[in-house]
Amino acid sequence: MDPLPEPVSYLCGDCGVENTLKPGDVIQCRECGYRILYKKRTRRIVQYEAR
Amino acid sequence: MATKRPGSVEDLNLDALQELFKPHIESFDHMIDAGLETMFDHIKPVVVTHPSKPQKLTIMLKNPKIHLPQKTDGIARTTHGWLYPFECRQAKISYTGRFTANVCFQYNDGGKIGPQIRENINFGHFPIMLQSKLCNLKGKGPRELVSYKEEATEMGGYFILNGLERFIRPIIMPKRNYPMSTVRSSFSDRREGYTDKAVVIRCVRADQTSLTVKLYYLSNGSARLGFWVQGREYMLPVGILLKALIDTTDREIYANLTSYYNEKYEKGKGVVGTPRIGDRAQIILDELHDLSLFTRLQCLQYIGEHFQPIMRELRNESHYIVADAVLNDYILVHLKNNFDKFNLLIFMLQKLFSLIDHTSVPDNPDSLQNQEILLPGHLITIYLKEKLEEWLAKGKYMVLDEINKKGEKFDFTDSFQVRKILEKNHAPGISLTIENMLKTGRLATQTGLDLNQRAGFTIMAERLNFLRFLSHFRAVHRGAAFAGARNTTVRKLLPESWGFLCPVHTPDGEPCGLLNHMTHTCRITSFYDSQGNLKVDYKIKTSILNILIETGMTQSLPKILLPGPPEVLTVLLDGCIVGFIPSTEVEKVVAHLRELKVSSSAVIPNDLEVGYVPLSMGGQYPGLYLFTSASRFVRPVRNISIPSNGNENIELIGPFEQVYMEIQCPDGGNGGRKSPFPATHEEIHPTGMLSVVANLTPWSDHNQSPRNMYQCQMAKQTMAFSSQTIKLRADQKLYHLQTPQSPIVRTSAYTKYNVDEFPTGTNAIVAVLAYTGYDMEDAMILNKSSVERGMFHGQIYQTETVDLAERGSRSEQASRTFRKSNQDKSCPAIDSDGLPHVGQRIRPGEPYCSTYNAITNKTYLFNKKGTEDAYIDSVAVDVKNGKHLKKANIRFRYPRNPIIGDKFSSRHGQKGVCSQLWPDIDMPFSGNTGMRPDLIINPHAFPSRMTIAMLLESVAAKGGSLHGKYKDATPFRSSVKTDGEKSGSKSASLVDELGVMLKEKGFNYHGCEVLYSGVYGTELTCEIFIGPVYYQRLRHMVSDKYQVRSTGPIDPVTRQPVKGRKRGGGVRFGEMERDSLLAHGAAYLLHDRLHTCSDYHIADVCSICGSLLTTTFIQPQKLPVRQIVGLPPRKPPSKVACHACQTGKGMETVAMPYIFRYLAAELASMNIKMTLKLSN
Repeated sequence: MDPLPEPVSYLCGDCGVENTLKPGDVIQCRECGYRILYKKRTRRIVQYEAR
Repeated sequence: MATKRPGSVEDLNLDALQELFKPHIESFDHMIDAGLETMFDHIKPVVVTHPSKPQKLTIMLKNPKIHLPQKTDGIARTTHGWLYPFECRQAKISYTGRFTANVCFQYNDGGKIGPQIRENINFGHFPIMLQSKLCNLKGKGPRELVSYKEEATEMGGYFILNGLERFIRPIIMPKRNYPMSTVRSSFSDRREGYTDKAVVIRCVRADQTSLTVKLYYLSNGSARLGFWVQGREYMLPVGILLKALIDTTDREIYANLTSYYNEKYEKGKGVVGTPRIGDRAQIILDELHDLSLFTRLQCLQYIGEHFQPIMRELRNESHYIVADAVLNDYILVHLKNNFDKFNLLIFMLQKLFSLIDHTSVPDNPDSLQNQEILLPGHLITIYLKEKLEEWLAKGKYMVLDEINKKGEKFDFTDSFQVRKILEKNHAPGISLTIENMLKTGRLATQTGLDLNQRAGFTIMAERLNFLRFLSHFRAVHRGAAFAGARNTTVRKLLPESWGFLCPVHTPDGEPCGLLNHMTHTCRITSFYDSQGNLKVDYKIKTSILNILIETGMTQSLPKILLPGPPEVLTVLLDGCIVGFIPSTEVEKVVAHLRELKVSSSAVIPNDLEVGYVPLSMGGQYPGLYLFTSASRFVRPVRNISIPSNGNENIELIGPFEQVYMEIQCPDGGNGGRKSPFPATHEEIHPTGMLSVVANLTPWSDHNQSPRNMYQCQMAKQTMAFSSQTIKLRADQKLYHLQTPQSPIVRTSAYTKYNVDEFPTGTNAIVAVLAYTGYDMEDAMILNKSSVERGMFHGQIYQTETVDLAERGSRSEQASRTFRKSNQDKSCPAIDSDGLPHVGQRIRPGEPYCSTYNAITNKTYLFNKKGTEDAYIDSVAVDVKNGKHLKKANIRFRYPRNPIIGDKFSSRHGQKGVCSQLWPDIDMPFSGNTGMRPDLIINPHAFPSRMTIAMLLESVAAKGGSLHGKYKDATPFRSSVKTDGEKSGSKSASLVDELGVMLKEKGFNYHGCEVLYSGVYGTELTCEIFIGPVYYQRLRHMVSDKYQVRSTGPIDPVTRQPVKGRKRGGGVRFGEMERDSLLAHGAAYLLHDRLHTCSDYHIADVCSICGSLLTTTFIQPQKLPVRQIVGLPPRKPPSKVACHACQTGKGMETVAMPYIFRYLAAELASMNIKMTLKLSN
């Protein structure tokens, strides 16, 4: 296991603030404490079928 | 400056929509407001008697309270503590509020009554119905609802259990407190001497619990009253009950029974009594004498003696107390007074005898006239009552157990100790049983609660589209008991249900006629008046009584005989005999009551049912039956017998009274009514007989009726714009139409119910012609370019919930986390947090999620199931308990744009399958406009199906789009009085009106156009009917259904293909199919299907002994094989030998189905040898 996996960004389900969490972090919005977070869309290139 | 955009949230008028959901919500509201309180009052206190000391402890339940849903510690403590439905759906938890009640202890220390001690006990978390008074969304406006991440139109009416939306489906019940003459063959099987006739009454207490009592007729002329006690039916001679109820004499009983017979009338109109009543009264009384029961006390003694062993609680009480309890708890429980019970029993006997003598007909239990509905709130109340009673009873035994165990040490009078014991009784389990009932729809009950079914009470509220969701809450089921019944009488559409149940909107097939839908005007009476205040039962009853007495009713008092029809009519108010009215007066009284009902003064509730059954020649048993109870069907009609002083005079009528009312419909025909019976009421609008969904079919009065039924089915299967909060939902499966449109041709119901918030289709340009042959047999050709521009584009959203707290063993649960393995680079879709990248494409079989067990140091990958590519639409993480990530909702998106094989339908039951996506350039085009159709259907779709409204829709939509207007297509236009009736224009038919619209814009009057062939460029020989029709895309798509294989997964035993689409199995090619191929001589194909693609097998057979099973492989000895340069290494010949013959000489290879070898093995196991004779 890699000791330092890169952090992942999430958006708060209540206030919409971006939270960056590392594995093992508490799942909670830093601003409002809401506990449902949505993952941000990937920055990677996504190829769609253009048919 | 912001200008208001059209279609903004503020424009929504949701009153009509909310009205549709009221039956569900009001019944739950009543439970919260008063139902629980009344129910608690009806729960009998439990008395614990100390076994050795003269001490008694009474345990009672008081003050139930359900709190607003709040977050529990498991979920976060956020800035506000309220729990909102959105979070429940997302986090897959239940929407519940705390349920508490006081448990009161009272000691009776040898005559000395101690003080009451109250202890507040927590009964757990009670499921809360959305938009009920306890819902956190109650009273919120559309904009606020949106801020709570709900639909702007959220109507509620359902529960959220583990994140799933479920609702209680109302079930039809026999009408309460109305004695019903019933003929049922099973009655005669009860015991010797019983006939098939009885009068049955379902008595309902104030707390909504009910008990059905049956008065059986015996072939010897007597009657028995049957009632259920603890799961068994007991039959008592009715004479004993009559005498036990009140102090009376034989003479009085005789006089009471015979009072409804009068020689004067003989066999005139309305006579129900016959001279035989005297003999029967004699028989009833003789039975008493045979048992030597003469006085009330003797009768009570008799009852008490027989029921003491059954009444467990009263085992040590005197016979009189037991008998009293029996009379109170089991006999005609809707009445409190014994005189009332006596009178009703006499009335039931009279009705029974009149049924026997054919002076009245049996009541039809399948007719809506004798039915009401079981509402969600009431079902929960009665179930909760039983569970609380069980809890109390169990608590009592636990206290007694404790006393026995500890003996003298246990201080019985110490309420703290008693409370401690009760706490062991697990009070929060009460709410849990309710939650379980809602989750499974099953009642875990010993007594049956006087219901005909135990299961199937709750249903998932599917949000496939808005109409399906809405229909759930308008559905009424006849009861699961009837679903299995062989005869079809219960399924028949009866005229009594006119205006209450929709004749069009019932599914065809298995539940046909059992699952009905209420019409859009139909309402259910509740405990709330029109202002939303709780009705006060006794106030209503006294005011009705006063009015009746004022208008000439003689009140029934003890010791007053009740004469019967035809002289007077008995008046029953909610199943209680209150008096009688001279039959000459009764019509005036009824008219007066109706006038008071309509008038705004709240003396009489506006939903009072004035069931006046007039005198007839052997019809329904006459009388004036008044009902004020809840859960009856009612619907509004206009009362035209009252002079309208600017009032609309809308009266709510029920199915019981409707049968005897004169209601006209302003269609000019007057319903075939004759002049002696002038109409007193008038239908408000003919569409009032249709349900919401049936109302959305444009000009449904121009269609053949089964087509409208098909449309109701298909509207509910449409892939539509199902939700405006789609990105916030975590439903298991959601269908979504990308490019919906508002229909050009629409009915008035469309705007009334805001269907535009959730549109269900597209206005497609439809040409009706036979083109290319690809539109044969209900196939349709879609324009490829139209599809590419977005027509009928759609997606399926599927949510996969990965909850680590629910998988694997407990020790594993704790150590597992979402994490990506670093060694394994093979899964590019997974991010470093173990969850997939949002937007990533996942191929079938590809991992999308990875978990890591810190102890075993193992990663586990979740692989994508199915055969389709999907995209990660969203990933939501939350915590259930604790702080760390244990649960993720991963939502996949499957693009589902139209392909060949997808199903579409117009709004007229005209469904078809896409057979080609035809290139735009090859589509036929219009000579005038150059337009190409989006969709081509075959003209043969029309003649036999007669869906004229579809043609009308096409013309109207064409006209509408030319003029830039929506066209109103409300059905029954010709049957409605128009206020400013223009002379002459009435005669104009619909076609004339629509044709002119086209003509004005220079189009053909009949909607036809000259079309040119797209392939040849030549003019088509006839003009083609073309115009926009609103088309729905149905959810049945080939991508979910196609099943094809040549070879693939096989069964390990038989080596034949497995079945099931999910496993990649095949479709059975059975014997009949084999026969047909044989008959065709298609031997090669047959061999291919049944052998090569199935269990093809090459077996070694010993030609010496003919055995298939005795072959063994011999390991070839390692011979030095000489390699020849340039040739591939020689494969060592695998040697096979026969074990039985000890030689490999006769071995031959034979191709055969593997199952043949299996057969040989099976036969061998039964000691049968199969020998093969090999020949060339």
